Amino acid sequence: MKNSNAGAPAVCARPAISAPLLMLLATLGLLVALPIGFVALQAVFPAINTGSFARPFSSFGTALGDERTLPLLFNTLRFGLVVAIASVLVGVPLGALRGLFRVPLARLWDLLFLAPFLIPPYLAALGWMLFLQPHGYLEGMVGFHLGRFLFSFNGVVAAMTLNVFPVVYFSVSRALAAVGLRLTDVARIFGAGPWRSVLRITLPLVLPAIAASALLTFIMAIEEFGIPAALGQRAGVELLVTSIEQRFSDWPIDLSGASVLSLLLALLALAAFFLQHRLLASRNFETHSGKPVAATPRELGPWRWPVLLAFAAIAAAATIAPLFAIAATAFTRTLSGGLNAGNLTLGHFSALWNEGEGAGALATSLGLATLTALITGTLGLLSAWAIVKTRMRGRALLDALTLMPHALPGVVVGVGLILTWNQSFWPVTPYNTWGILLLAYSCLLLPYPVRYASAALRQIGDNLEAAARVHGASMHQVMRRIILPLTAPALVSSMLIVFAIASRELVNSLLLAPSGVQTVSIYIWQQFEQGSIGDGMAMGVVTVLVSGGMLGAGAYWSRRFSAAP
Amino acid sequence: MSLSFGFAAEHANALTVYTAGPGSLGKKLAQGFEKKTGIKVDLFQATTGKVMARLEAEADNPHADVLISASWDTARDLDKRGWLLNYESPNAAHVPAMLKTPAYVAQGVSALCIVWNMRSGLPEPRDWSDLAQPAYRNQVTMPDPALSGATLDLLLGLQARLGKQADALFENLHRNGMVVLGPNAQALNPVLQGAKSAVFGAVDYVAYGAVVSGESIKVIFPSGGTVVAPRPMMILKTSRAQNEARAFVDYVLSPQGQKIVADAWLIPARDDVGSDRPLLKDLKLLPQEGAATPVQHEQTLQRFSKLFGQR
Repeated sequence: MKNSNAGAPAVCARPAISAPLLMLLATLGLLVALPIGFVALQAVFPAINTGSFARPFSSFGTALGDERTLPLLFNTLRFGLVVAIASVLVGVPLGALRGLFRVPLARLWDLLFLAPFLIPPYLAALGWMLFLQPHGYLEGMVGFHLGRFLFSFNGVVAAMTLNVFPVVYFSVSRALAAVGLRLTDVARIFGAGPWRSVLRITLPLVLPAIAASALLTFIMAIEEFGIPAALGQRAGVELLVTSIEQRFSDWPIDLSGASVLSLLLALLALAAFFLQHRLLASRNFETHSGKPVAATPRELGPWRWPVLLAFAAIAAAATIAPLFAIAATAFTRTLSGGLNAGNLTLGHFSALWNEGEGAGALATSLGLATLTALITGTLGLLSAWAIVKTRMRGRALLDALTLMPHALPGVVVGVGLILTWNQSFWPVTPYNTWGILLLAYSCLLLPYPVRYASAALRQIGDNLEAAARVHGASMHQVMRRIILPLTAPALVSSMLIVFAIASRELVNSLLLAPSGVQTVSIYIWQQFEQGSIGDGMAMGVVTVLVSGGMLGAGAYWSRRFSAAP
Repeated sequence: MSLSFGFAAEHANALTVYTAGPGSLGKKLAQGFEKKTGIKVDLFQATTGKVMARLEAEADNPHADVLISASWDTARDLDKRGWLLNYESPNAAHVPAMLKTPAYVAQGVSALCIVWNMRSGLPEPRDWSDLAQPAYRNQVTMPDPALSGATLDLLLGLQARLGKQADALFENLHRNGMVVLGPNAQALNPVLQGAKSAVFGAVDYVAYGAVVSGESIKVIFPSGGTVVAPRPMMILKTSRAQNEARAFVDYVLSPQGQKIVADAWLIPARDDVGSDRPLLKDLKLLPQEGAATPVQHEQTLQRFSKLFGQR
């Protein structure tokens, strides 16, 4: 990654690996490299868990030769591609409208499309199921159901698309808002038709943004566990991610098969990730005027109503329907009783507290999420600073380590952590304590603070630090008085995102939670599998409120902070 | 949340219990036991499939002291591997002979049933084969025997009793559009909401629990007979807290513990503890054949999953 002002003299550190950097590298190695290394080792040496290096690579033959593996790979690839295409089809038009025109209620749509950060995907999937299946809430309201559609390949694709398309939407709308219509206007003055000017000028300018965000939706789709796990079985859709979880956690278990599939999935995701990274790196918005200026969005005129309808329809399907189904199930006494006043109850909420199980799960999740946010925030700021502001050797490695988890499927990290820490040779192991969950969440979510912090750091001129150092400030003082305050808003928002995701992470929680520890996601999942779905949905409502509240507070706080003089 | 970071010493007194079945039952037993003895219990609760997988994954470095599975067969398998500690609890004196061996004893018993949504408008099913009738086309769900220990026992029971006829029954069910859906509640949920009309081979205690909370479903024991799934409770040889483990087994088999079991709508293992639901003597059972070997067991599962197209 290029330093923001490569020409300037090095400000802070000598080009040598310093002790703090070494510690940072070691920590990240432990957090990121070790579990990945063990997945690879287990895949190569099938008997490594008993301390033997016998029969190297034999499980590749077994797993790849297995008649079920190739269809799994193919299914996963197809699923990811179709979701990416569908996300472009939904996200680009909506994003373009939002970026270029004055869309009524624009802020509301943005808010509703942020739902994936609010509603955990597995919860949304359960919501769609309760809403769309035969005799579901939809049928109760309008007399027909979409069960046949939902429980099919296309249905799972639709559910996933509604969960990930906002990535495309936000990327495109932001890119277009920055590019604006000025250049198109110029083209039109010189006689190009409206279509021609859009096709020849606007589109090429945002094409990298579209392609990069589409690749991101591909990665998200092949990694996400909750949606295929909730809907996939009934739809006969089996993907790598669910199959890995199954091999690892259903009896009889298949360690090396799971590792080989994990490796396949990781390679698939990494390939897409590097492609995406290169696209973003080559992306160049420099148009002739230099900085993009805020363009005034155009009026939609008579198109207002159809556009409004399109936004409303997508928001209803993506956010309102699942939220409604979750809330409705949480507040109704019996599922078979359906939606009516006599069937309303708060019983599921009191059940969360009565037996202590739900409340305990909530406390555990919130505690773990807080710790994860603190750890990733600290590591993220330090890493970002070392990467952006220093010339130290080893920066590239640090950069790679901090970004890696972004490309790693959650299930692979979980598998890696089990393989790493369930070995008997460690004198001390976090396995079978809640510490292993902390490791998993921290590894997976580290990239958020790193990205946010480095973006903020790049905007701080090096002369600020230099000036402080000239005036005799110590490194520590520079960090505390200059770097920290200037990066705080970005860092805090990223930590809140980490908190929101960590408080409801599913697949690692299922794989790694030790006996006696229950998280919110496990609680909801178990209620769905073995208990009362009403209790599970009550927990879902609480979760959505908590993470919504946190994100809202975060947005408010960081806006105030950046507005402050 | 315990703050120890893998230091076994700190856990010397705590007991780790792995249990299949409803979390609330495990939790209540653990709480009752903690209150009575002051010994802390770490509970891992999941489906039988997941509990067994965890046990297997930790074979090198075992953590569980007491294991409660939902499949008698898994206990037999572990016993054969020599993993279990023999223990006869004094409280097991009231447990009928068919529900105990030297190495394991039933915590309680569930029976496999048909669950029928009374608002479905379909004729009330009486026997397993009714669900293969055209009236029930695309209307039936079944828990996954790979995940649910009790369902596995039903599969093995039907196979042992009916032989080829069992194969034909499942083929008909498959042709009639029955879907296999995860563990118990996951198969039951669509029937509660009315998306499907009946569950083939549900465990009865989950269904009774739903009836009590007001769901309009009926628990039906098939006229041809059904299978009971005693839930074996066992102590692992590798347990580092064997005295505590024995105390736990004693507690579960005490009248107090059995009351908690009965409250979860399971048939108590002790014959001197009553319940508001049909007991063993009230059920018509398919003769429970002798042990299925692990090989048969795996073959049955494989045949089943091939037929229903998963894994």
